[in-house]
Amino acid sequence: MIHLFCALPCEAEPLIQHFKLSAIKEFDLFRIYQSKDKEISLTTTGIGKLNTAAAVCFQHACLKTSASDIWLNIGVAGHANLALGEARLVNKITDEHDNATWYPQIIFNSPCKSTHLITLDKPSTDYQDALYDMEASAFYQMAIRLGTAELIHCLKIISDNTAQNTATVNADKVKKMISAQVQTIEKLIDCLKPLSAEIHSITCKPAHYQHFIEEWHFTKSESIQLSRLLRQWALRLPDEDVMQLVTNNKSGKAVLKTLRSTINNSEFIIHD
Amino acid sequence: MISTIYIEEEIANHPRTLAILKRFPDATKISCQRYGEIFNRKSQNFRLQKKQPALILAKKHKGLALPTPKQYAIGAEYNYYFSHMLNCLYDCRYCFLQGMFQSAHYILFVNYEDFTEEMTSILNQHNNEPVHFFSGYDCDSLALDPVTGFTSAFLPFFESNPQALLELRTKSTQIRSLLKREPIKNCVIAFSFTPDKIARTLEHKAPDINKRLQSILDLQEAGWQIGLRFDPLIYTKDFAIEYSELFKKIFSKINPQLTHSISLGAFRLPKDYFRKLEKLYPDDILFSSPLAEEDNNIGYPSEIRNDMLEFCTNIITQHIPAEKFFPCHETV
Repeated sequence: MIHLFCALPCEAEPLIQHFKLSAIKEFDLFRIYQSKDKEISLTTTGIGKLNTAAAVCFQHACLKTSASDIWLNIGVAGHANLALGEARLVNKITDEHDNATWYPQIIFNSPCKSTHLITLDKPSTDYQDALYDMEASAFYQMAIRLGTAELIHCLKIISDNTAQNTATVNADKVKKMISAQVQTIEKLIDCLKPLSAEIHSITCKPAHYQHFIEEWHFTKSESIQLSRLLRQWALRLPDEDVMQLVTNNKSGKAVLKTLRSTINNSEFIIHD
Repeated sequence: MISTIYIEEEIANHPRTLAILKRFPDATKISCQRYGEIFNRKSQNFRLQKKQPALILAKKHKGLALPTPKQYAIGAEYNYYFSHMLNCLYDCRYCFLQGMFQSAHYILFVNYEDFTEEMTSILNQHNNEPVHFFSGYDCDSLALDPVTGFTSAFLPFFESNPQALLELRTKSTQIRSLLKREPIKNCVIAFSFTPDKIARTLEHKAPDINKRLQSILDLQEAGWQIGLRFDPLIYTKDFAIEYSELFKKIFSKINPQLTHSISLGAFRLPKDYFRKLEKLYPDDILFSSPLAEEDNNIGYPSEIRNDMLEFCTNIITQHIPAEKFFPCHETV
């Protein structure tokens, strides 16, 4: 799943339209939108770190996120000299309040340049050679507790700079700026999807696992052993029918014993 | 190759930092206070980062050279290892670094001068006794040599300290800087090998064994001493056939006079590292090997391990004298 977070409704609206998202009515603490296939969600967090951290947690609790999910904070930001409308991925986040720093891991060919971002407690026009926002540090700090670091990113679009400060920014302009960068956002998601799929492939349960869990009782520790043995089975005895082997076993313990002894008695060849 | 470089502020103006940055004009440069802010963070995934590792330029503050476990010695009483780099260009599935580090990024400690100062102090502690220094525990010693300038910086130190010996452990063919200069007697370039089919299955991105062997021949021709490291030995059904072929290939070509030492040891990992690797690569055949747990380590059961060690020992000792052979009989 892909989770988008925007502070403002005007940042969210172009994305809600583009990804054809609908509001989920049962959640009212924060507005959460979702695509029909439930692959993309978007949460409007409100302005500031507290709102953002709370929205990330809320969304996690409501939608039951996993390690393979993609998390993106998308919104506008100020910068001293970058042109309005330009997009930047964030490669370093500093919280101005306590100087805490995070480094989002860009391990793909980014669809746009990347730069440093400073998250402020209050709006400022004291521009520096870094992006300014009011949410990213809280988003990132919370999201890396819930997801996989390489799948968590902030993409910001320049809304104001030294020449045209925040006083010139309005909702319509923001909507247009975000709309103009939807392709960049799509490309970023495309870069992250294969990484997400790889995490899914290593965190998902092996074939037949669910059937075993429903058929026999396994303790927590035994279910970990089961998972390991089923993976070993698939690698060492790919042509054998595992279900047939254990069908007469009366307990989870007996199943594990049967699997283990059959695997141990098989030949081990490390290469094709 | 390197698209992102993190630079610790403290060494931002170090000459080695500046020289390395010059080699990567298009890389994104990001400053940081200490490398741990990036390298040690939880929730990173080593497997994903291995796809496009960043380079972190940092300063090593302490533990510049540390005592080596006795079972890894190759003939000296005093043994130390040092790591100018953490992590490796290659992606060998059995490598303990994947279990030890949170991150796959390469850390390069640019303050080589502090390493040699520490080594001088160690040599002084041991008067004029021979001391061995091992490089290549936490990285491949040579794989990034054209970037790091590691050999050209450290070899002069060893040249002027003949009581010290340097082991450069590698699978790399980056030997140009060695071939360009006169060999020194107290440096051993130690190449790791597994049989061809096993290497192709497990040693991703590493040069194939023919290229490694050619590097050995080139180095020996230039007068360098080489070492052979059959560690880890990897079990497979036709283990005996595959290792026989490997030994035949190597021993029919190398010069035994310029072979400093041979060591071997069976695949084993601390349990915590093994479990982490297994989680990162649950569908990798290596982790479905016949393995046993003993004293918080995971490795082959004693009957397999002993068979492998005995088989290899018998062949190796036919080719080199016993004093050059250093089997590691670490129990699992």
